[in-house]
Amino acid sequence: MAKAVIMPKAGITVESCIIGKFMKNVGDTVNVGDVLFTYETDKASFECESTESGEILAFFFEEGDEVPCFTNVVAVGAKDEDYSALAPGGAEAAAPAAAEEAPKAEEAPKAEIAAEATKTADGSIHISPRAKNLSERAGVDYTYAQPTGPNGRIIERDIRKLMEEGVPAAAKAEEAKPAEAAAPAAAPKAENGYEDIKFTGIRKVIAKSMVTSLSTMAQLTNHHSFDATAIQAFRKECKAAGGDVAGITLGDMVLYAVSRTLLNHKDLNANMIGDDTLRRFEHVNLGVAVDTPRGLMVPTIFNADTKSLLEISKEVKSLAEAARSGAISPDLLAGGTFTVSNLGATGVEMFTPVINPPQTGILGVCGITQRVREVNGQMTIYPAMGLSLTYDHRVVDGSPASKFVSELCKNLEKFTLLLAK
Amino acid sequence: MPKSLYYGPNEIRAKSIITFEDIPVNVYNKTVAEERANFKDDELIRIYRDITILREFESMLTSIKTQSVYNGVETTYPGPAHLSVGQEAACVGQAYLMTPNDYQFGSHRSHSEILAKALSSIEKLSDEELLKIMENFLGGSCLRAVEKMGACNSVKELAIRFILYGTLSEIFARKTGFHMGMGGSMHAFFLPFGVYPNNAIVGGSAPIAAGAALYKKVNDKDGFVVCNIGDGSLGCGPVWEAFNFACMDQFKTLWTEDNHQGGMPILFNIFNNGYGMGGQTRGETMAYDMLARIGAGITPSQMHAERIDGFNPLAVIDAMKRKLEILKKGEGPVLLDTLTYRFCGHSVSDQNAYREKSEINDWMEVDPIITYRKNLVDAGVAADSKFEEILAETRERMTNICRHAADKEFSPYCDFKADPQVVERIMFSNEKVASFGTDEPRVMAKKEECSRVQQIAGKSRFYLDEKGKPVSKMKTFNYRDAIFEPIIDKYYEDSTLVAYGEDVRDWGGAFAVYRGLPEVIPHSRLFNAPISEAAIVGSAVGYAMCGGRAIVELMYADFIGRAGDEIFNQMSKWQAMSAGILKMPVILRVSVGSKYGAQHSQDWTALCAHIPGLKVCFPATPWEAKGLMQSALNGSDPVVFFESQRIYDIGEQFHEGGVPAESYEIEIGDTNLIRSGKDVTILTVGAALYRAVKAADELKEKYGMEAEIINLHSLVPLNYEKIVASVRKTGRVVLVSDACQRGSFLNDIAANITEMCFDDLDAPCVVVGARNWITPPYEFDEFFFPQPSWIIDAIHSKIVPIPGYVAENEVSEVEWIRRNKAGV
Repeated sequence: MAKAVIMPKAGITVESCIIGKFMKNVGDTVNVGDVLFTYETDKASFECESTESGEILAFFFEEGDEVPCFTNVVAVGAKDEDYSALAPGGAEAAAPAAAEEAPKAEEAPKAEIAAEATKTADGSIHISPRAKNLSERAGVDYTYAQPTGPNGRIIERDIRKLMEEGVPAAAKAEEAKPAEAAAPAAAPKAENGYEDIKFTGIRKVIAKSMVTSLSTMAQLTNHHSFDATAIQAFRKECKAAGGDVAGITLGDMVLYAVSRTLLNHKDLNANMIGDDTLRRFEHVNLGVAVDTPRGLMVPTIFNADTKSLLEISKEVKSLAEAARSGAISPDLLAGGTFTVSNLGATGVEMFTPVINPPQTGILGVCGITQRVREVNGQMTIYPAMGLSLTYDHRVVDGSPASKFVSELCKNLEKFTLLLAK
Repeated sequence: MPKSLYYGPNEIRAKSIITFEDIPVNVYNKTVAEERANFKDDELIRIYRDITILREFESMLTSIKTQSVYNGVETTYPGPAHLSVGQEAACVGQAYLMTPNDYQFGSHRSHSEILAKALSSIEKLSDEELLKIMENFLGGSCLRAVEKMGACNSVKELAIRFILYGTLSEIFARKTGFHMGMGGSMHAFFLPFGVYPNNAIVGGSAPIAAGAALYKKVNDKDGFVVCNIGDGSLGCGPVWEAFNFACMDQFKTLWTEDNHQGGMPILFNIFNNGYGMGGQTRGETMAYDMLARIGAGITPSQMHAERIDGFNPLAVIDAMKRKLEILKKGEGPVLLDTLTYRFCGHSVSDQNAYREKSEINDWMEVDPIITYRKNLVDAGVAADSKFEEILAETRERMTNICRHAADKEFSPYCDFKADPQVVERIMFSNEKVASFGTDEPRVMAKKEECSRVQQIAGKSRFYLDEKGKPVSKMKTFNYRDAIFEPIIDKYYEDSTLVAYGEDVRDWGGAFAVYRGLPEVIPHSRLFNAPISEAAIVGSAVGYAMCGGRAIVELMYADFIGRAGDEIFNQMSKWQAMSAGILKMPVILRVSVGSKYGAQHSQDWTALCAHIPGLKVCFPATPWEAKGLMQSALNGSDPVVFFESQRIYDIGEQFHEGGVPAESYEIEIGDTNLIRSGKDVTILTVGAALYRAVKAADELKEKYGMEAEIINLHSLVPLNYEKIVASVRKTGRVVLVSDACQRGSFLNDIAANITEMCFDDLDAPCVVVGARNWITPPYEFDEFFFPQPSWIIDAIHSKIVPIPGYVAENEVSEVEWIRRNKAGV
């Protein structure tokens, strides 16, 4: 029976060798120990001696071929013997296997690290130099950052998150505590006619959040006005009635009207999620901008659309007071679906309020001015209240936005009718 | 293991005995009267003069060290003073016949050796030659100083002052010294007179001098080499290695292709003063009884060993004359046991606790300065008054020299304040020298005829083919080819290039880097060295000192320990200790092993990088290997060239277009950006690069994190610019190598990054090294050497937690402290 002479393994790490020269021809008779061919590794050249005696029946490779170790190279046997069984099966396919298909890169999961306490166990804040540096350059207060680094360390990504998302509600509330509102270190009065006030605390956050708002959205503002006769009259009635009702203000009425009107304009009662998703809400959580000694704060009237005018009125007062005193629960500083900012008392005629991300709109309430209009051929004077709606044009176009304000104006002009609904 | 030498059992096993020739001991017995036939009277007198100059030099230093004054010149000197009072006659006798072409290497007690050789050279050089040498040395600054010391009636006298002043101000650490004071007492020398360095390491000159002889032999230079060492050095392994290296059989049996057979032209002279510091060699610390005996243990010719009386300068000259004949006939090396005696202590703090005062007195009674003078007078060579005149003249000259050398205005120190870079400038020579030789390089065939070159020509120079499929390893131009290519090129460019080491020739080096070279390069330029790491490196140092370029190989990096002094004290320091006069174009190839256990697997880059004066590189890809080797080969500095056995057969995977076939250099100190990324920087050294690449792949594929990998193929010098820029970008850095973590050079880099990038760092620099253990068997590699998971673990637990990742090998602080406390 024919036997094979194999490519020897010329070292522990050698996987294949190149055939140098065949020293015999097919048909030659060989004995054990006769040199059949030379072969080489990268390190050395060797001679392959026959391990069989007989006639050379076939060479399975040619000179210069690279042959994996232990592969049959030569068939030796009796003349005319069948050697086909010895032919190396996959010799032709011995080319190195293609590199395995790299597994498709999964969409990198966005880090969703559970927020941990900013402070470490010993109460001190640990922050990487890079993160600290970035927070200073970007003007954000790193004490608001949620640390996600090892050992409770604030690292760069935490500051970047803070820059993108603004101060978390919980932190805002923390900031609002009077105890925390330490006066900035007294800067020496400049002798050259100015003084530098370094932003601290909530001011820095506001600055950052305003810039972020304006730089990440397509905001534009429509200005409308309506006849405030009806709400002024209703205000008088309330005042006259005394008790809780006497506290109902024009602003409360606007909030009430907004909470009802928004339900018909759901794109404005919504949050943007990322760049391409709009989350519309079933209920109206109305953010109310409040001026506090530490700066602007925006507490939320949850489910305002389900609350009565009086309930809204009372809630706004308690929220504002809590915000000003710093006692407000952090939960009440988040979750807004739309915001109303009332500058009416300051005599503003129109302004362009800045949307509180991720909301899609904000209504600015302006002061009341006396305007003239023609009624039955007569010039008459009426109190006109201005409303400025800023909306995110990515979500809402000009026409639907105007329709919302128009409907709002109508509802306010016929306020008692709205109350009846 | 050349096939041409048959090692057969019949001959080897045949019965026989080894016989020895008699070894002569103090056989010289001529009188001065007899020698007057061989010497002119003024030659005999000049021998005396030279002895007095040497003696006065050492007496001056003794006086300064002990009294802070010499002949009215008040000065102090804080450095070493290993004086040779009593040994002067032996030195003068040895130098008498030597020419400036004959090189002398010194012991650490070598003031007399240096000065005797210089005085002998002055006598043999013409006035024109002397003036030219002095004028050209350091731009003539030393000569200018000497000229200001007062009128001088001859060029030879000027040259004597020059050599005394240059040596003394070198000892006094002055800028006017022969090497700006950077060498000092134990490293003074003056190449133009054939005075090569002495050495503060006992026996340090032996391998170096052997290398100098190799240089003369390989490059067909005239002259021979004298290696002066003391009897105390006979206990040093490198000295024995040097003896054997210089006496190898192959010089006679194998160096035939280019007619370079014949013995090495070197005379090992042992100034045998009976003591190694305080240890009495004969009778206490040595076994040889008579030192000359040891020659019989080295070669069949017994190294032509002989004991001679160093207290008689004429006996020494007689012996030198006979031994030079042997060297000229190509029958060296020669060993001389030159008896002498040190009257003074080893140093000024020596209390002579180890010998009786009477013993010293007995030797002083036969002090050659007395006996030789008496013999001259008795033989009528000159009247005694002549010698008094010489003594007076010597003293006057030395006082003048001392006054000027001690004067800090005349002989200022280097001003480290005004010129803070004074030492920086001499640490490396940083020259580009294509060839140190002028001859046609000796080869046996054209480069194109080398089978290896032909084989390489058919290889793919990138690891993928044009279709992007991996080329088989056998057909890929690999890391070992990349080291080979610039070396064979340089063999055809620089006639001085030699390469040697263990098994580099027939075997092609244990890792086959040199495979194919023996077909075209003769033995005299590529040979197997004995397993003598100290001699291998030390001889390369001597070879380079003399003006040649050498590549030596230690097989495994672990064997660095065997050549510690030669690498850490000699190869590294001579450029700076010579103030840049010596060049050290030595490439030391060492290979970091794998699979071979605890004594064959260590990455010792940190040891080398720690020593000032060595360039250290560790290429990890074929492109790096070729460019760095080319750069090292074109340079003039010592380079420790680390290689890795894990990657000898790896092809180039990173460099666009693969490894260029043409010559190119990668600047030693540059860094190699392997891939760009924004989230974390991974710095790698050595074969760990490939595991870092795997880690980076996983970070990207599974966690969307983009790692930037920079391979640090050079550790010294190292340009941090690109590293800093990367860390500034990512704010995070992991450093990875196979060196044990404790003391890894990566810690040094990490500390520097922390200093430079502190405000940019988002986390501490984290070093990932091997465990602080012995290297366990290969089967446990994954527990010892950094793995991809270790790298990701380090990022996850110390730098930035990776969502969804679970660390495999998280090490708590408590565990970290425990390990360090236990030292493991």
